[in-house]
Amino acid sequence: MMDFAPMHSAPAEVPVEHHSHGGWDPYVDNGGTSLAIAGKDFVIVASDARQSDGYSINSRYDPKAFTLSNQTVLATTGYAADAKRLVEVLEQNAQTYFHKHEKQMSAPAMAQMLSNTLYYKRFFPYYVFPILCGLDKEGKGAVFAYDPVGNMERVVYQAYGSASALVQPFLDNQVAGANQRGHEGGLLDRETARKIAIDAFTGATERDIYTGDWLDIFVIDQTGIHREKRELKHD
Amino acid sequence: MDPIEFRLPHTIQRPKATPNHGPRTHTTRPIVTGTSVIAFKYKDGIMMAADCLASYGSLARFRNEKRLMSVGETTLLGVSGDMSDFQHMQHTLESLLTQEYDMDDGQKLGTKSVYKCISNIMYNRRTKGDPLWNAYVIGGLDNGQKMLGFVDLYGTTYQSATIATGFGGHLAQPILRRRVEGREDELSEEEAVQILDECMRVLFYRDARSLNKLRRAKVTAQGVEISEPYMLETNWSFAESITGYGS
Amino acid sequence: MNRLAEQLAANDMSEFGLHNNNDSAAIAGPSFQLAAGSNPAAFAHHFIDAKSEKDSLIKIAHGTTTLAFKFKDGVIVATDSRATAGNVIASQTVKKVIEINPYLLGTMAGGAADCSFWERVLGMECRLYELRNKKRISVAAASKMLANLVYRYKGMGLSMGTMVAGWDEKGPGLYYVDSEGQRIANDLFSVGSGSTYAYGILDSHYRYDMEVEEALDVARRAIYHATHRDAYSGGIVRMYWVRETGWEAFPLEDVGQLYYRYHPEIQLTNSAESPLTVAPLA
Repeated sequence: MMDFAPMHSAPAEVPVEHHSHGGWDPYVDNGGTSLAIAGKDFVIVASDARQSDGYSINSRYDPKAFTLSNQTVLATTGYAADAKRLVEVLEQNAQTYFHKHEKQMSAPAMAQMLSNTLYYKRFFPYYVFPILCGLDKEGKGAVFAYDPVGNMERVVYQAYGSASALVQPFLDNQVAGANQRGHEGGLLDRETARKIAIDAFTGATERDIYTGDWLDIFVIDQTGIHREKRELKHD
Repeated sequence: MDPIEFRLPHTIQRPKATPNHGPRTHTTRPIVTGTSVIAFKYKDGIMMAADCLASYGSLARFRNEKRLMSVGETTLLGVSGDMSDFQHMQHTLESLLTQEYDMDDGQKLGTKSVYKCISNIMYNRRTKGDPLWNAYVIGGLDNGQKMLGFVDLYGTTYQSATIATGFGGHLAQPILRRRVEGREDELSEEEAVQILDECMRVLFYRDARSLNKLRRAKVTAQGVEISEPYMLETNWSFAESITGYGS
Repeated sequence: MNRLAEQLAANDMSEFGLHNNNDSAAIAGPSFQLAAGSNPAAFAHHFIDAKSEKDSLIKIAHGTTTLAFKFKDGVIVATDSRATAGNVIASQTVKKVIEINPYLLGTMAGGAADCSFWERVLGMECRLYELRNKKRISVAAASKMLANLVYRYKGMGLSMGTMVAGWDEKGPGLYYVDSEGQRIANDLFSVGSGSTYAYGILDSHYRYDMEVEEALDVARRAIYHATHRDAYSGGIVRMYWVRETGWEAFPLEDVGQLYYRYHPEIQLTNSAESPLTVAPLA
């Protein structure tokens, strides 16, 4: 059992109603869902914007997908405060890189940096499940998915967060056509991917109490990042 | 006597355990506490309220505490949770304001900056495992732009048109959402005050750590204004009709 | 009194995180931020489930069936591709063979991030060795470097069970290295929750004088049967062959397809309702 309390004799007892005993837990799960789908020459990223703490909704619009540059978006879920700090650290490093090399950091470079940034906190991790999206050297859509300590995998699509157990199988079915007879396979076109992302969130909002309110959608392509904000159910 | 220690033959240096003498420096639980703060946006700016009680456990220990303060000229700060940690934050903010004043560069500390500053302090303290046991509500006007934000002991932050801490999150927030959400730019000051009092009354009826002596405050284009303490009219006759669960 | 005031002022500044911001990533070499408090290792153990033992907040993606063996023409390395976090299949497409350099491979079992991070560090060290000594590092030295690297963090909760395979001046090399500090040389290893199933196949079919095709077949069957019986293994079979010219990779094979290939050999006593008669997927 973790205990932050220093080892010394107990202080004078005071008649305080305490809710937590002994150590305090430095993590909270703020809920929410993020997904990304890669295409031939684009990536689509979507995150809901609800922030919760237990059964309380803190805010209906607290975005958890962030633009790191004009070619990369980071979608997060987990502990919102850690996610926001992580984004600040990445932005700072990307800025340093820009001034050092006089060019914007590419998505794959950013991907490796994110992995290292997470691993450097291996023994006190960021409780964040990041999905990094951008375009690779050939201009193809690139989605990088991580665990909280920096294990990285380039994937075609990924769903993380409180409704990931609902959304990931839906994407396995609709995007990969996993184990379906006669499924063509191959990457989706932009409009289909967008529709699937929206459907995934309407469904997740229906069945997951931590997902809802607003949906931020980003489409990244050669021309930059295109943003769209849609309403989800507020219940 | 210090325990025997073997220096590790490499770069990791495990922090030393706190010696078993000297004062306790970590807040592992709140001691003297303030209850809910509620706040929301209205036509002219931000409206906020908190009562005047600082409890010591179930004892209503200090009945004339100020839990609302201004930070600079356009920012209002409300606090719930441990009062000594709040006083520490006050000192920190005062030294920040002094530094800003000494700069004498014509720059004013805006609400966004105060919000970011408090957020960083709170997150850094939680990361040290030594949190300030508070929830802060920060409201203000930056170039005519209304801003209302929240920070707690975890460093969790969010902005919203209506915010309520502690018990208020359960009892007042539903009232605020019903009456304010979507009407932030049309609510008159009279109606805002009425909503505020209604919320504080409900909290007084049900929150056993609250007091019916409170202050309200507003930030408008004219600056921050914190009222003197005032009492709420209460009517306990409804209690007679409650039967069964909750009576 | 003045000293007290100074101390307070210094203390106040640290509140803004202006000094000692140990949160931004370290620049030179691995340097890790530890949890504050008297026992950061206990912290890591409580919150991070590196070994799939607890119901911890932070579940780490895991690797699961891996094997490698020496035979007359080199070393075969084979893995499955499933990662689990708690009871959830986090991925079916993990690359559990890490290409350290053209002559060295590492496998992944345990914490995925632990394996990939430290084997990336190893890759860097091996390259530095080449630059300093004008020759490739031996498998023995490389594996020992990895063992020493993780031994520094023993007790901190790292989870890594890896095989380092390669070819050096002495011929084929194969070592098992783990996060507890063990380092063993042998001709045959299997690591992970599916290893017992894989050993069953390997021990009954392995011969040192196999031809490559037969060696690959034994490896493939061992992984396949592990995925069949171990819930934490699955996905696709990935195989590598290391020889004098370096490693080469073979095409990936879906264990779902292999089921039908190996089906005629599976005789169930009650086959009346066996699904094995269903035609395979395209």
